[in-house]
Amino acid sequence: MVKEYFRPESLDEALELLAAPGALALAGGTWSLAFEARDKPERVVDIGRAVPRTIETRGASDGRGAELCLGAGATFQEIVDSKSTPPAIRAAATSMANRNTRNRATVGGNLGANKSCSSLAPILLALGASVEYKERSKASVTIALADWLAAPGGLVLTVIVPRADGLRASSLRASRTACDIATSTAACAFRLEGGKVAGLRIAIGGFGPRASLRPDVAALFEGKPLPTKADIEKTVAPLLQARADQRGSVEYKRLRGAALVADALHAAEEQI
Amino acid sequence: MKVDFKLNERSVSWDCAPGETLRAALRRKGIVSVRDGCDGEGSCGLCAVILDGRLVNSCQILAPQAEGSSVLTVDFFSRDRKLSIVQRALIDASCVQCGYCTPAVVLALHDLLARSPKPSDEELRDALSGTLCRCTGYEQFYDAARIASERLADPEYVVPLGPEFRPDLRHVGKDREKVDASALARGEKAFVEDRVDSDACHLKLLMSPYAHAWIKSIDVSKALDMPGVVDIVTHENCPDRVYTTAGQGFPEPSPHDQRMFPRKVRHVGDRVAAVLAETPEEAEAAIKAIVVEYEVLKPVLSIAEAKAPGAPIVHHGAVSYVVGDPPAGSSTEGDGRDDPIIYQFPLHADPHRNLAASVADGIGDVDKGFAEADVVIERTYVGKRVQCTPLEPHVVYAKVDADRLVIHASTQVPWHLRRIVAAAVGLPEHKIRVIKERVGGGFGAKQDIVLEDVAGYMAWKTRRPVLFRYDRAMEFMTSRTRHGMEITVKLGARRDGTLTAMDMKVEADTGPYGQHCLTVPMNAVSKSLPLLLCDNARFSVKTYYTNLSPAGAYQGYGAPKGSFALQGTLAELAFELGMDQLDLIEKNMVRSGSRLEILKSLGEGRPGAAVTLGTCGLDEMVARGRKAFAWGEPKPESDDPDWKIGRGAVIIQQGSGLPGLDAANAELRLLPDGSLLMLSGGADLGTGLDTVTAKAAAEIMKLDMTDVTVVSGDTDTTPFDKGAYASSGTYFSGNAAVRAAEDLREKCIKVASGILGEPESDLYLVPRGIVRGKRGEISLAKLAHMATQGEGHGDLVGFGNFKTEHAAFPYGAHFTEAAVNVRTGEVRLRRFHAYQDCGTPINPALAMGQIYGGVMKAIGHSLYEELLFDDQGRPLNLGFTDYKIPSIYEVPDDFHVELVPVEDEVGPFGGKSVSEISLNSAAPAISIAIHDAVGAWCRVWPFTPERVLRAMGKL
Ligand SMILES: Cc1cc2nc3c(=O)[nH]c(=O)nc-3n(C[C@H](O)[C@H](O)[C@H](O)COP(=O)(O)OP(=O)(O)OC[C@H]3O[C@@H](n4cnc5c(N)ncnc54)[C@H](O)[C@@H]3O)c2cc1C
Ligand code: FES
Ligand code: FES
Repeated sequence: MVKEYFRPESLDEALELLAAPGALALAGGTWSLAFEARDKPERVVDIGRAVPRTIETRGASDGRGAELCLGAGATFQEIVDSKSTPPAIRAAATSMANRNTRNRATVGGNLGANKSCSSLAPILLALGASVEYKERSKASVTIALADWLAAPGGLVLTVIVPRADGLRASSLRASRTACDIATSTAACAFRLEGGKVAGLRIAIGGFGPRASLRPDVAALFEGKPLPTKADIEKTVAPLLQARADQRGSVEYKRLRGAALVADALHAAEEQI
Repeated sequence: MKVDFKLNERSVSWDCAPGETLRAALRRKGIVSVRDGCDGEGSCGLCAVILDGRLVNSCQILAPQAEGSSVLTVDFFSRDRKLSIVQRALIDASCVQCGYCTPAVVLALHDLLARSPKPSDEELRDALSGTLCRCTGYEQFYDAARIASERLADPEYVVPLGPEFRPDLRHVGKDREKVDASALARGEKAFVEDRVDSDACHLKLLMSPYAHAWIKSIDVSKALDMPGVVDIVTHENCPDRVYTTAGQGFPEPSPHDQRMFPRKVRHVGDRVAAVLAETPEEAEAAIKAIVVEYEVLKPVLSIAEAKAPGAPIVHHGAVSYVVGDPPAGSSTEGDGRDDPIIYQFPLHADPHRNLAASVADGIGDVDKGFAEADVVIERTYVGKRVQCTPLEPHVVYAKVDADRLVIHASTQVPWHLRRIVAAAVGLPEHKIRVIKERVGGGFGAKQDIVLEDVAGYMAWKTRRPVLFRYDRAMEFMTSRTRHGMEITVKLGARRDGTLTAMDMKVEADTGPYGQHCLTVPMNAVSKSLPLLLCDNARFSVKTYYTNLSPAGAYQGYGAPKGSFALQGTLAELAFELGMDQLDLIEKNMVRSGSRLEILKSLGEGRPGAAVTLGTCGLDEMVARGRKAFAWGEPKPESDDPDWKIGRGAVIIQQGSGLPGLDAANAELRLLPDGSLLMLSGGADLGTGLDTVTAKAAAEIMKLDMTDVTVVSGDTDTTPFDKGAYASSGTYFSGNAAVRAAEDLREKCIKVASGILGEPESDLYLVPRGIVRGKRGEISLAKLAHMATQGEGHGDLVGFGNFKTEHAAFPYGAHFTEAAVNVRTGEVRLRRFHAYQDCGTPINPALAMGQIYGGVMKAIGHSLYEELLFDDQGRPLNLGFTDYKIPSIYEVPDDFHVELVPVEDEVGPFGGKSVSEISLNSAAPAISIAIHDAVGAWCRVWPFTPERVLRAMGKL
């Protein structure tokens, strides 16, 4: 049962309050106030004012190209509405079809929940995003998103997405109904160099505890012209380890995930 | 802690607990318009508010988070009893059915229009993407958005008239405002949960974790001593009676096989103990302190397991019959331990072999018919269990007032509820008053006495007011589902398609108790076989007990599954014959003047009789669908090689109440100012029944709709009505209202005759409420006033009773066009057209709303919905996150309803029933379309992508 509620104005104050064992960082609350987390923690720290919320494009820190900065407090709807948002990220945010939820759910919460069906993680991973985060009494650090998701810590402040010219990217999901939690998700980003796939990154959700980059899948296609959808499906399906549940059997999930990868690769290829 | 914020543009400063949700705080402070359909899972959107200009779910926001914010609820738009543009538009577009979702929809549309004054359809979908509505099928929300948008630009905008019928009548056949719509659109107090007093105690159940187990011991002593606990009931101290929870006419065709608390639990979620405590938290804490020891038994988890030799026995108590003898060979002797089973009359049952009921009959010589056939096919179709999911879960508020038990109920059957609770508690009926409040969706689930017995008992026993509200998980676990069914259809036909024999074998799974165990599966036959003309037909129905969750009524009863099996097999026969499936339907379907011999064998609990149809609109409906779908022409081409397109068409029927079994009554009072009070026994579930009875009164008394108020479904103040089930509302309750109005009209004319000095035969009523003769006239107001003034003619009250031997069948022809993805098995509905005859549509747009809603529920069970259980009988999908009912995104692209009325000679103004029938088409039509698209027959509903892929041989 929640006994204390805080809404700190600063990040350090928030991290201080969160140091108490079991304290919850509350962002949009669409995950932490629902589902299995019904037995609420004793201390809730609303981080709405403590983490950035802006969405902006800025010159990359290394001076090359631009990068998109998503404040951890930005909501899915703000991502959809922002002019700075690239199409593949907008598609990922829109795939959370429930507008009421999009109006609350945040970037930080989506990464913090770190679920296999996450709408945002696959495309952010595919685009090579990094995360600036901060732990109590430490300076903020920026690391690859994949690394942060593998060992989450502190509070995410900003997600930084490099914006590179010529990159083709797409993000797709499969679900029973539009507003369902995804059965599988797939996102990819690559360049076409002389008709061949280059620099391919593929991230897949729904197979394993969290969405993750799949270099093994990417390696199948790197440096070659993109195969047909049927061929992609055939080679990808055996690499997907699924668990049967109410959304489908192992065989179905594999087939569906492989079809999604094929669709995502082709959708990205077709971009001009 | 103090929370200061702006609520509906007024500053408030509330004391809130740090963990209290904004929704809970708002309701605590009397804002009842924030509803709850998913227990804070975030998937229903009924708790929506506009927080700082954004539509959000208040169940996932803590009250302290509102600090410094602006919160708008629907109440903001209802200030000074006015209606906003959006509220008005929703009413004008007939979008307010049960109204439980309406406040949320109002907010979503205001939010949309503020962003986009001329929204596209895509923007509307997005705006309503987080809001579930189970009643309307969402289609008319598009009209509402358009109307509101037009009125934003031009406040004088007049909505173009929809289809109208019966030009000879003033109100009937024309769209009139639904009588309860504005109160519901304003989010006023209307539902059971809005009637709860602040001193109400809270009832919580301890539910069985096992599908099948003896309760070896139960110790409540620690729980009883816990703070706030008022009382605890278990099988050890509950009334020792068995009854059925089926809200059917007495004597029920359902076994009395349920004790308030059973000695043996028979499904996961079965009642073990009820705790009444002063707060919900105290009740929950006490539940945890009850110690139960179970002796776990092997559960019966399928029809096959139930009928297997040596199967575990679900009910092993002594079996007895009030009337009639046990069926030969059946076992009646109990095991001395289990609760008894009492049948009111024989249902060909043998409970100790898990057979709850059975029936078999037919006409002609079926074997000969098959011998004469050129082609014979036999197919088995399976309909999985699906849930009604009214967005307002089961809820009751019971209290003792003046030494009587008063029950505020969300029910379809107020009188059956009174009778069953009286028997369960052990009270005479006069000691109980049932008040049906507005019902936030019923769809069959609220035809059963799911929680009123225990709430009534505890209120009576403790004299404390008792609130008992199911949460969504309990709703899924222990409310009523459509019976699981496996139906084998065998058809024989000549080369030209003429049917020579039909055989239909229905096996059903009623779960742990036998409510509706005969009638629901029986409807699989009785609402499907009579659509086809064939001299040789037979059927058998067998219903088994299992340890899955309780089955019961769901719109259409068994008809959607019977229709799935029969129409599906008929299409397969067409395929075998190399015929067009619609040609085969037309070759064999009933028409005007057809003789329905089969009805001889299909009496509902009494002998049936053959019927000669009067006019039947099926020819016309099929013709319209053919034209709209250009049936003779090649199918539309898909522009994506992954998606293949297919079409399917079916014919459907239903009944209109239960002739010879049911009855309805109404009373119409002329009030002193000449206005009318309609006291109808009918139970309006959001279907518009109160509007039907109001129309009957206004039409016949030549008054306006605004001159009538309807009070309905209150067992103290309104006369008996069988309740809202079996498609009886308009036909039975509506007809009772017609008769009450006619009676009042006769009485007024009689009295006026004396006053005017003119013969009754010269007098007639004219608008607005005038009795006119050849020489003089007198207003109803004057007549009524005189009635109060001792002028000798007494109060003017009309009384109407309706019962009938006449069976009225609504028919329909539904067409669909589906796209099927050959790589993923996904199905998208490009088109769905419903051509439907409901007799005179009393209120056309509301009737269409019933059809849209019915079809959408059926699309749900055809494509997405299925209750899943694990190998121990534990239900797996207990919320809307896992059990997917359609959202606005699942609505077919071209969704069209067209009324093709054929007046019924007995129905009110020629009306018949409308809503249930609409659920009978989607499963067969979609499965036929899938086959047409990809050549695979899907014979198990729902047609999930995985099942489609398996049918295609891709998995
Ligand atoms: C109806 C419904 C539909 C949904 N549909 C989808 C969907 O389509 N796709 C999808 O991905 N998810 C979906 N979800 C799940 C959920 O909404 C998302 O994961 C959402 O992004 C969570 O964000 P939030 O801001 O609400 O997080 P919260 O619930 O507030 O927090 C989630 C977790 O993240 C942690 N956290 C929050 N902020 C930070 C931070 N800055 N740094 C580190 N940790 C942090 C919290 O402590 C908590 O553990 C759905 C949920 C609901 C209720
Ligand atoms: S109760 Fe809040 S979304 Fe369902
Ligand atoms: S009218 Fe929408 S849920 Fe009933």
